[in-house]
Amino acid sequence: MNNDSPGLLGRLWSSVEFKLILSWLLVVIATMLLDSNHTYWNASADSAQIVLRQTVLLGFFALGSAIIIISGGIDLSSGSVIAMSATVFGSLMIVLDPEGFKAGHVSTTAVILSIAGTLMAGAMVGTLHAWLITSVGLPPFVATLATLVGLRSFSRGLTPTVASGKSQIDFPDDNLRNALKDVTTITIVFIVFALALWFLMSRTVTGRHLQAMGGNEQASKLSGIRTDRLKWLAYVIGAVSASIVGIIFFADQGSAKPDIMARGYELNAIAASVIGGCSLQGGIGTIPGTILGCLFLRTIIDAVQKIVGAGADVFEGMIVGIVVVVAVTFSQRSGGRLIGKRYFSDEIGWSVIPTLGLLSGLAYLLFFGKREWYAPYQAILVGLVVVGALAVRAVLESRTNSSNRV
Amino acid sequence: MTPPIISIEKISKRFGGTRALHEVSFDVLPGELHAICGENGAGKSTLMKILSGVITDYEGELRIDGQAARFSGTRDAESVGISIIHQELNLVEQLSIAANIFLGRELRWGGVFCDDRAMELAAKELLKSLDCDIPPSRLAGSLRVGDQQLIEIAKALSLNSRILVMDEPTSALTEAEVERLYRVIAKLRSKGTTILYISHKMDEVFHLSDRITVLRDGQFIATRNTKETNAAEVTKLMVGRDIESLDLGPRSARGEKVLEVRNLSLEWPGHARGYRLKDVSLELYRGEVLGIAGLMGAGRTELLECLFGASSLPPTGEIILDGVPIMPRHPSQAKRAGLALVTEDRKRLGVFNSMNVGQNISMCSLREAAAGPLLSSSRERGLSDSMVSKLRIKTAGLTPPIGSLSGGNQQKCIVGRWLLTHPKVLLLDDPTRGVDVGAKAELYRVIRSLCSEGLGVIVTSSELPELLTLSDRIMVLSEGRKTAEFDIRDATQEKIMEAATRSWQTSK
Repeated sequence: MNNDSPGLLGRLWSSVEFKLILSWLLVVIATMLLDSNHTYWNASADSAQIVLRQTVLLGFFALGSAIIIISGGIDLSSGSVIAMSATVFGSLMIVLDPEGFKAGHVSTTAVILSIAGTLMAGAMVGTLHAWLITSVGLPPFVATLATLVGLRSFSRGLTPTVASGKSQIDFPDDNLRNALKDVTTITIVFIVFALALWFLMSRTVTGRHLQAMGGNEQASKLSGIRTDRLKWLAYVIGAVSASIVGIIFFADQGSAKPDIMARGYELNAIAASVIGGCSLQGGIGTIPGTILGCLFLRTIIDAVQKIVGAGADVFEGMIVGIVVVVAVTFSQRSGGRLIGKRYFSDEIGWSVIPTLGLLSGLAYLLFFGKREWYAPYQAILVGLVVVGALAVRAVLESRTNSSNRV
Repeated sequence: MTPPIISIEKISKRFGGTRALHEVSFDVLPGELHAICGENGAGKSTLMKILSGVITDYEGELRIDGQAARFSGTRDAESVGISIIHQELNLVEQLSIAANIFLGRELRWGGVFCDDRAMELAAKELLKSLDCDIPPSRLAGSLRVGDQQLIEIAKALSLNSRILVMDEPTSALTEAEVERLYRVIAKLRSKGTTILYISHKMDEVFHLSDRITVLRDGQFIATRNTKETNAAEVTKLMVGRDIESLDLGPRSARGEKVLEVRNLSLEWPGHARGYRLKDVSLELYRGEVLGIAGLMGAGRTELLECLFGASSLPPTGEIILDGVPIMPRHPSQAKRAGLALVTEDRKRLGVFNSMNVGQNISMCSLREAAAGPLLSSSRERGLSDSMVSKLRIKTAGLTPPIGSLSGGNQQKCIVGRWLLTHPKVLLLDDPTRGVDVGAKAELYRVIRSLCSEGLGVIVTSSELPELLTLSDRIMVLSEGRKTAEFDIRDATQEKIMEAATRSWQTSK
């Protein structure tokens, strides 16, 4: 490696991975201090297991998404592909071993064939995406938007026809279920999967070409790179990774309910990739970064659950939203510095201040409203303090920067 | 004598390191049609952008009606009566003709509502004054280029422009449309409009103008009364650039034929001309540099793209490389056959900005740098290093980002990228664009030494002195056709410029 480079420490310091590890440690330490039950301290093994399971489940299809993003595309369909894969997995088991399915002991052959068939279905979805994008000429956003809506509907249609009219498929085999959702097993599978993708992206010609295509598709084509085939590969990896999650998720949940299963997950995958340093413009991003992005995202969700108490899945969307905004703001090239940038001093900036104040007050109410020490004036006070602070910032901005108006 | 309507006084403009305009001064008289001529990059368009308020930071002074003017935007220029019709038209295709004419200054009623009826009526009047009876409610995107241009002129009229700048207005028009444009120009002039007319087509300039100003390399060369000069003199003024004497060593001996192109044609659907290239034939020998001259839009880039399988439509004709007919439909096929293309637009089509110097150089030869499916970083480094030293690329190793290198060194990286594929023919599309003088000489030497290794090279350039320095033979394109070919001993800037400005109709 390039140990001769004088800026090795500096490079490490400025890398997304390093920043993520630091932020992650901060979140863990803060949770240890703020959590009144001290769960991370008292039950660290259990907590770690929960976070690990969540991270791994997100990690599989976030990595698929990351590869698509790095190669210059976007995949909106992963949530629906997960639901479709769970349904297909269940359906195949019913079809291949109907007796065993009823009795609760699906034969090994049927299981293996069903898993293979499900992964194949994922590959077919990926191929469909690639065809829509390269041959039909749709923008990736539109192509995967179509499958986002289409595949979920398809799964809902498929379920009653194989599950004798029911709108969900229950997982048939408890032994199989425990094996498939076992945290050690899925972690090992994930590590193998992640290593393979990391190898692909960082050590192979194909990986380099994917990155080049994301950075400059025209230049890649003019360099004699077969960009269409690369797109096929990226979208197949994306869809197959979601299929893997579909299989595990089916076991994890105990049933496949295609109408609600994994709904909105595609956005978590994109968020994790972006937090992990992938640029939505393409060409930039790493596998380790994305894994750390998943870990960070799942940890912070878990931390809020621990600090606030129950019902964190309600707050999940809010947390993801805030983390994405903050992470991308800080990692933007011009950013890193909050000083000297104009956020609040123009018309739009002034108008957003009441919104942010209201949001802060409400967030305070939602997070702490059930504590015994809570009183309504606190939330109002928080809102007012935020409004005041931002207004001060706005005034300062317009004073110092009025000279560099463009 | 009438006082000038526009006085341009010592206007200079730099873009980074390159000088686009240097102390240009001349006057434009009221009511005249003043043609501005010059080669590609002479500074015509830059000057017109300053005049119309598109470019606002420059040195020197602009006087309109004797009053010093400093525009801070196109609105300012419009308020004193200057409008520009750009070569690339600026219409919103999804809006109606009327909406385009009044874009940004819509007629309103009640302060907020668009008064479509009033705008359509006004637009209809304007179009009528231009002998055009297209209904103003039609979408701009549904019109032919010639009609779209009329919309731009109508827009200028609606601004009560006294001064109209037209940047190569006939470049995309059919003959009938050109005739109509001439009539419109005559009409405008009868109303006293002053017109600045940029063109490099001599027949047009002499047909229309009262006076001709020639720019060269961003400098003012001369203003002539059209009646007192002729096309030969103007061409000479345009190209009278000195050739820097550069000793590039002896030319290498011509080897056997490596590339032959017969009757290459490329369609251009929807364009008045109907083709981008028509029946272009050429031959290239080992150890030889073939220069391709031609003005903007002559088809130089398209020709190289066709050879490299990168054209958007499939071309017709024959391409024979080393005796084997090929017709690549994807750059990967051309690359395998032994062709290499260094593109014109380095930023957009050449470099990978998110990658470092080494990765940029090795991009086309990664299979060679790999053991099985895995990249060997030491082999990759070896390949890239070999090019850094062969082409003397100035870089602090292979790890800095490509963007940290100067334009000339970035270009060398891309040349190196292609040399690693061991090509038989190297296609260089305007390789020294945006490269400073010292680095240009370096690139010339590199090209010459590659020839001595038996490579055949095709170079296009917008700079004639460059082609004269570098080439063994020069072929000239004009409007998609080959109009001349010279051995380097017979070639002069005048002869080449004459062939490059010759339109096909007149040379028949």
